Amino acid sequence: MSKKNKIYWFEGVTEKGVKDLLNNENSKFKWLRPQRNRRILVILMALGLVLTSMGSYWPTLKTNLNLSGAGAVTVYSVTAVFVVFAWVGGYSFLRIAVRSIADAPDELLDERQIAVRNTSFRYAYYILGYILMGLMVMMLFGPELQMFQPEGNDGSYVVIATLFACAALPSMVMAWRERDI
Amino acid sequence: MLHSIYAISMSRNPEEPVYNRIEEARVALGLSRQDLADKAGVHYQTIGYLEREEYSPSLVLALRIAKSLNQEVSELFSQTPFKRGK
Repeated sequence: MSKKNKIYWFEGVTEKGVKDLLNNENSKFKWLRPQRNRRILVILMALGLVLTSMGSYWPTLKTNLNLSGAGAVTVYSVTAVFVVFAWVGGYSFLRIAVRSIADAPDELLDERQIAVRNTSFRYAYYILGYILMGLMVMMLFGPELQMFQPEGNDGSYVVIATLFACAALPSMVMAWRERDI
Repeated sequence: MLHSIYAISMSRNPEEPVYNRIEEARVALGLSRQDLADKAGVHYQTIGYLEREEYSPSLVLALRIAKSLNQEVSELFSQTPFKRGK
C-alpha cells in the first residue's frame, strides 16, 4: 500500500517531490547540479528579471515601432506569455537545481541542509533589501526626473520583477553559493 | 553592497574547526557514504561535507554518527587534528 504523498501548501512542495529531488539516483536533472551550470541559470534568471522590469518601456517601444490596435495587442500578448513561461520554466529549473532545499520544510531536510537554507534566506533578505531600497529611490526621485508617465512608463513592471525576485532569490542565492547540492 | 556580493560568494562561518575520522571509520566498516547517511538519517552529501571537515555536526548528529560507526564521540571527533594511522 502506497503512503499518501503529503502536500506542504505553505512551502509549495510535496513530500515525494522533495524526496525525489534529494535522491541521488534521480539522474534526470544531473546536468543542472554542477555549480557552473547553476550559476549560469542564476545569471539568466537575473537577466530575465532585468528584462521584465524593462517592460515598463513598452509604451515608448510601441510608439517607436508604430504599433497600434490589434498589432500592438498581439505583440504584447505573445511577449507577455513568453516572459511568463520563461520565468516559470527558469524558476522550476532553479528549484530542481537546488533540490528544492530552499523551499522544503525542516522535517524533510537534515541539519546541514537546514543551515544552508537558512543562510540562503538571510542573504536573499539582504539582497531584497537593496532591491527595495533601489525601488524606493526610484519612487522618490522618479517623478521629479520624469521617469514615469501616467499614459506611458508607469514603473509597474519594476514592481512585477521585484515580486518575481522575492520568490526566486533564496533559490538563486543557494544555487550561486553552494559548491555541492 | 559589494561586501554582500563578496560574502555570498566567499564567506563561511569562521568556526573553530572540528576534526574527525569519520571516513577512516566508515571505510573500515566497509560502508559507503550513502550507507552511513541512511544509518545516521542525513543526506549523503552531508557525510561528504563532514568527512572533508567543511561542516561541524551538532552534538545529536555526532552521537548518531558515532553510534552508526560503533565508536565513541571522543574517538571520532576532536578539536585537534588526528595523527594519521592512529
